[in-house]
This record gives sequence, structure tokens and C-alpha cells, in this order.
Amino acid sequence: MFSSLKKKVGEVLLPGDEFSYDTDDTISLTEHVKPEKVVCGPGLRRSGDRLLVCKSGVLRHKQPNMFWIDSQQRRYVPAKGETVIGIIAAKAGDVFKVDFGGSEQASLSYLAFEGATKRNRPNVQVGDLVFAQFTIANKDMEPELVCIDSSGRANGMGVFGGGGLLFKVSLGLVRRLLSPNSEIHSDLDQMFPCELVVGMNGRVWVKSSSVQQTLIIANLLQSCDTMTGPQRQELFRRVQTGAL
Amino acid sequence: MAKQYTSSFIDKLTYQSNRSVMEVCGSSNVTLREFGCEQSLLSRPDGSASFIQGDTSVLAAVYGPAEVKVSKEIYDRATLEVLIQPKVGLPSVRERSQEQCLRESCEASLLLSLHPRSSLTLILQLLSSFLNAACMALMDAGLPMSCLFCGVTCAIDADGCIITDPTAAQEKKSRALMTFAIDSAEHRVMTSSTKGSFSVHELQQCIAVSQKASEKIFQFYRDSVRRRYSKTL
Amino acid sequence: MKDTPLSNCERDFLLKAIEDKKRLDGRQTYDYRRIKITFGTDYGCCFVDLGKTRVMAQVSCELVAPKENRPNEGIMFFNIELSPMASPGFEQGRQSELSVKLNRQLERCLRNSKCIDTESLCVVSGEKVWQIRVDVHMLNHDGNLMDAASIAAITALCHFRRPDVSINGDEVTVYSPEERDPIPLSIYHMPISVSFSFFQQGTYLLVDPCEREERVMDGLLMIAMNKHREICSIQSSGGIMLLKEQVMRCSKIASVKVSEITELISKALENDRKARKAGEKCGFAESMPQERITALKTDETPVEMTDVTERANEIIQKAEPPLQTIPSLLVPAPGVGQVGQGLQNTWGLEEEEEEEEDDEDENSGEEQKEQTKMMEEEHDEKEESREGHVVQLSDSEEEEVVILHPETPNKTPKNAGSATHQKGATKSKRRQKK
Repeated sequence: MFSSLKKKVGEVLLPGDEFSYDTDDTISLTEHVKPEKVVCGPGLRRSGDRLLVCKSGVLRHKQPNMFWIDSQQRRYVPAKGETVIGIIAAKAGDVFKVDFGGSEQASLSYLAFEGATKRNRPNVQVGDLVFAQFTIANKDMEPELVCIDSSGRANGMGVFGGGGLLFKVSLGLVRRLLSPNSEIHSDLDQMFPCELVVGMNGRVWVKSSSVQQTLIIANLLQSCDTMTGPQRQELFRRVQTGAL
Repeated sequence: MAKQYTSSFIDKLTYQSNRSVMEVCGSSNVTLREFGCEQSLLSRPDGSASFIQGDTSVLAAVYGPAEVKVSKEIYDRATLEVLIQPKVGLPSVRERSQEQCLRESCEASLLLSLHPRSSLTLILQLLSSFLNAACMALMDAGLPMSCLFCGVTCAIDADGCIITDPTAAQEKKSRALMTFAIDSAEHRVMTSSTKGSFSVHELQQCIAVSQKASEKIFQFYRDSVRRRYSKTL
Repeated sequence: MKDTPLSNCERDFLLKAIEDKKRLDGRQTYDYRRIKITFGTDYGCCFVDLGKTRVMAQVSCELVAPKENRPNEGIMFFNIELSPMASPGFEQGRQSELSVKLNRQLERCLRNSKCIDTESLCVVSGEKVWQIRVDVHMLNHDGNLMDAASIAAITALCHFRRPDVSINGDEVTVYSPEERDPIPLSIYHMPISVSFSFFQQGTYLLVDPCEREERVMDGLLMIAMNKHREICSIQSSGGIMLLKEQVMRCSKIASVKVSEITELISKALENDRKARKAGEKCGFAESMPQERITALKTDETPVEMTDVTERANEIIQKAEPPLQTIPSLLVPAPGVGQVGQGLQNTWGLEEEEEEEEDDEDENSGEEQKEQTKMMEEEHDEKEESREGHVVQLSDSEEEEVVILHPETPNKTPKNAGSATHQKGATKSKRRQKK
């Protein structure tokens, strides 16, 4: 199955496509057959002895044996450990209800901020933006967010958002933005210096020297979803020189 | 789907097919009109698609997995709601029955258990071969599905000819009308809705024709998705 | 479903941008977004794209009895449908405040302005008049639904053709489009609504607000005007105090915008008329953008059906012949008939399967059997997927371990499958403990 998966890497797959493992006709009695292992990411499901594709998109592979489907979805489904931008929707007792664009609101304890104690409550208002991480995210339970890492440090998380603009892009673009040594990021960095917060849920917050500059970056990012690298660079260059 | 037959069986088959030549004539009618689709054309919904086939066009939009009303919550799977908006006036009984037909088709292909206690809303505008638009929209929204489906309509006219993908005028003149939803994995019939009278033989022929036609549509799905991802390969 | 809340950050930024005379999409204060008008294949169907806002209008007609107080006037009926397709916040079949407001405004704009000659819609005075129904469906909500709806409605009305009728004594004949060319409505003028939103208690003004701008605005002024610069209706909402000069300024802007839009509409109508006359293809299929990466089109494709007959025969051959036994009729008492072999009611058992197959031909037994077989297979599949499901113990459902080449190759596939299931389960359990 590993080889058949490997063959399809980089190809577009549709729901309903299947992989089944190619059983050898002859099984050697003397040699010990080492069981192959494959780790299935989003978009791939195991059903019995077959592997089903359940989302449309491009098959990706990461060494040694990880496979997943890269799709351009717009609705976010939470996953443990991912960081998102949430909007505080309500205060309910000692937790905040946070809207992160998923199917239900996540809870965020007021103690889950750096330096917060029972006496020293963080200053968080309804409508504020938080950058937080999922500690609980599965389909059967209410998702839970925290703004501290395991050692109690903020590590970049917490309330933010003075003076910047929040907007939505597709989840595929966010993943491309966040991938290590991403091209979009470096292009942006060179031409339009700005503060950027990117949540896995498709929300991006940007702040730059002026309102004008911030708006330009926001519109650029929204438009570069369906562009190839050269096209994007060309656009960036033209915008920078003021041609557009 | 290749199968081995014994020779006597084949004899029988040829005999049968000779007899039924009278029923299946005018194979020139067995075409699909030109069709096209556009995905993600609306900005608000999580997934949207328009499907155009000849003169008919449908617009479909999906929201979900999203918040669900407590009264509609199901603890182990997602609630699927299908709304069909007629072009003129308010939804009537006809729309309700179409909604139900479509919901059952979608439920069969979606993996609803992956998103319990959430809602999926599928809204369609303008009517005709709504199954294809619905499937494209679900796919665009990136919802987990076990397979794709497509809808094929066959009409049998007064002379017994099978017409696939009939126009409105052909539909009016036809003796019987059958719509099938066919899945992509094994080309089985998921839903069938028929009108008028026909023989068992004709039904089986229509199913077989639809299965053939569905291959074209699935190829089209694949081409359009491939085109969409062509820049991120 | 709830709409996404607006964060404080967005609100502050928008207001600050408006102060700087900047807008989210780079427009100037008085700019409209791009307007695109397309028509459907049949008369009276019109799509309007205003930026990302998308609206569809469909006009239909019907012969009805007139209102008693106006026996020789046709009836105009407007209906705005806020379909949940447009925004997750809209609900199906519920009259929200917004839909009432939009409906009322559209009526004032198009009915009360007397832009349509209703007297020409009278067929027989006091008995039969045409009722013209305009359905406006919102397809995507990105602000300024009213302007888009008014453009769509008036364009659809201009595009619409009603069937011709003739009166012969008491007889009214309605001709189909093939018999006699349908007749357009007589429209005196085209009122178009232009919306202005106000910020900071009327200090700042924007034309054609988008959805996020609408959310932070203080007040809204809608002016419906025709190209002769006659105001057809004017409505201010949001409880904002406007000065006389502001209203005057808005009406001046509106007159410019209305003349631009009117020109666009007449151009679109003209193009469509030409295309129809030349017998070209028109409608959505032609209006679909070809250059977009998300769009694809194919030409007419023939379906190859060489072995179709054989396949059909094969299936019929394999199926069992239908039951030939004709149930005998039993008459237990006069006036009561009973059909069936036993006297027991078997309806309860079959009911589940009946639902889907109501419209199937009843007397073909094997066809039903085929269907049930298929349904059973489907059930099996569902069962299987659920089975695969229970195994997942890990927190995030995305990680799943598949073991290939299970060490017991002699077993049947089914068993092998369950074996891997169990192994998978123990594996993931172990993983959790770590």
C-alpha cells in the first residue's frame, strides 16, 4: 500500500477513491515479513483493509510514512495542539466562550492566561481577539482553548489586536503561510513589512505602519489563494511600485 | 466489471438482445448535453457550486459543520438539512419530496459520524438535476464523504427510445422518466425516482445507461477538481 | 445558525479607516462595487452581482380576479426571500425584521411609484387581470442587499414577457409563446434604490456599504430615484438625525448613480435582446466565467452504450421470475373484501422499504428485490464504516495507524480486517498511555 500511495503523491484525489493493499501471491516462509505502517492524516480513512479517500484535494507525503490530503476547505474543524484566532463571544462564570469558526464555541478558562490567578484576573472583554491553542479538540467533546504552554508561559499567545485588521482566508492558504520557509511569507516579508498573526482556522490579523498599508496587505493575501508563485511575486512587485 | 460467461449463457444473451432491438433504437439520443460547473462562487457559504447542464442550472451552497439547534442535535452524527428553493413562490410539497430524496442520497455518501452534534445545511436554488450541484458543493466544502454521487435522468419516449439527460420538451413528451443517483465507488444506484410506466427490462437498461453516463460525469468532477488544484500541485 | 461575531478590533479598524477616507476593498467614498447583470434562459429571470453580493429575481404571471376596489388594474406582488444560502444568520421560512424592511422598501420603490402600467394588465374588467409576481432570492450577502434587489427586480420586470391573450365574447384565450409572441410589460420609468450609510453620527458617509461596513454603521438612508431625477421613495433608518444639506447631497449623488445604473441595465437588456434575436445561446451557461480556475465546462458528450442491452438482460436473467400467483379474493362478509393468502396483515413489515419505492412499478417483484439488495449493501457499508470508527481511541481523529500485511494471511479478508482492527485498537491504546 505504501508504494501505491507513494505513486499517487501530488495527484488530485476525489472522495471514493480507494487504496487496497497489494497482497503478494507468494509469501515467503523463511523470511519474516515486516508489517508496513502508514500514518493517515486528514482526508484519509481506514475502512477494514482498505484506505478510503474522503475529501477532494492533493495527496501529500512526509517522510517516513505520513500521508494526507491537502484541500482548500473554508470551514475549520478543530484539532488538538493547533493555534487559532478566536473572538471572545461571552463571559460565562469563570470561563470565556470563544468563537473560532467551528461547529461550536470553545471554552477558555480565565486561569489559562500567563500570570493569571484567582485574584488577578486577566483583562479580557467580549469582542476581543485571542490567540490560543487547543488542549481538547475531538468530535465528541466541547473544545477547550488555553493561552499558555505547558510551562505556564504565554509563548506568544493571549489577547491581542489593537489597531490591526482581522480577515478571513481559506484554510489552504493559512497552511501555506505557516509552513516552514513558505514563499508567500518571505515575499510578504521583503516587500511589505508588517505584524502578522495567522490562526489555523483561516483568520489572519495584520497590522502595518498605516491603515492604507494594512488594507493593501489584507487584500493581497485574500487574492493570492489561487495564484502560482511567479504570478504572486509579479502582483506583489506591481503593487509595491504603485502600478495597481 | 468484467465477468466470465459460459457459452450457453452468451447464446441466451444474444437471443435476448436481438429481441430487444425494437426497444432500444435511436442510440443517437444517448448523449449528455454540454455541462459546466463553477466551485466556490459564493463568498459566504463554506462550499458552493453551480452546475449547468444544457439550459438548466442549479446553484448549491453548504454551511457546516456548524452550530446545531438543540432540538435537532443528534448525539452520534451530524444533522443534515436540505433546503430547496423554487424559482417562483414558496417551497411546496414537490420541493419537500425532492429535499427528502436529496437528503437520503447525501446521507448515504457523507460520513456524518465524523462530526457529531453539528449541523450541515445544504441549500439549492433553481431546479433540475440538483444532485450534481449538491455533490460538487459538498465536495467544495471539504466534508468527509465515503464516495461521490451524481444524478442521471433518463426518459423513455413513446417509441420506447431511451433519452438520457432530456430537455424540458423531451421530458414532457416522454412516457416514463427516471432519475438515478449513482455512487462513484462501484456505480451502484443510491436513489431512484421514477414517473410513468415502464417494463423491468427498460428499467434495467436505463440503469445501465445511467451507469455509463455517470462515468462521464465523474470524469468531469475529477477534471474540474484537478483544474482547481492545478496551481498548488 | 449564528453569524460570526464582529470583533472589537475590526470595528475600531473600520471606523478608523473611514475617518481616513479608506475602504476595505480600496474603493472611494462614493464608488459602487462592480455591477454585473446576467439573464436566464427564460424571460423574466435576472441575476445581479454587486461585488460579492448576489441576487436573483424571477418574474412570473398568473390570471386572477382583481381587487374589488380596483376592478380594472392588474396586481403586483413582491416577495423577497432571505435564503439561508446568503448568510448563515438567515433562517428558512421566518419573516425577520430585515426581510420585512426590504420587502416594504421594494414595494414602495416599485409598486407605489407607479412605474408599471397596471391598467394594461387588465384582461376582463372586474373578472380577470394579470397578477405579476416578482420573487427576489438573495444568494450571497455581502452588504447592500436593497440596491441589488431593486436593480434585479426592475431589470427582471423589463425583461419579462407575458403571454398574449384574446377575448372572444366570454371566452379568454391565452396563447403559448409558440402561437403568438409574448408581450412585454409597459414600464413608465425605472426606479432604482441607492443606499447611503452614515458613521459617527452622520459625520461620514459611504455609498454602497459592504457587509462589514453595514455592521458598524449608525444609520442608513435609502433613496429610490429614476433617471429623470424624480425621487420615488426615501427612507432613513437607524435613528440618526440628518441635516437638510446631507439629504440634498445624497439625492444629488443618487441621481448620478441612478443614471449610470439605468444605462447599464438598458445596455444589458439590449445585448440580451440582440442575442435572442440572432438565435444565439443565452442564459447562465454562457454567462459562466471560462477563465476562472474553479470553473470548467465540457461539450456535449455521447454515452457509449454497446453492452447496455446485454447488461440489462444479464441482470434480468439472474433475477428470479416474478411471483405469478394471483391472490384469491376472500369475502368474509357482504361489503368486505380481503386479498392475500393468509389473513394476516403484512403491511407493517414492508413499510420501511416501501417509502423509497412508492413510485416503483408494483407488479415487478424482482426489481424490488434488486433495490432491497442494493439498500442492504448500503447498510453493510455504513455498518462497516461505523465499525472502523469505534476503534479510534486517540484524541485527534486524524491520526490512525494502519498495519499492512497482517501476519495471518490465510484467514478470510473479513477476519483479517477485524484482526487489524483489534491490533489497531491495542496500538492506539498503548500510544495513549505513553
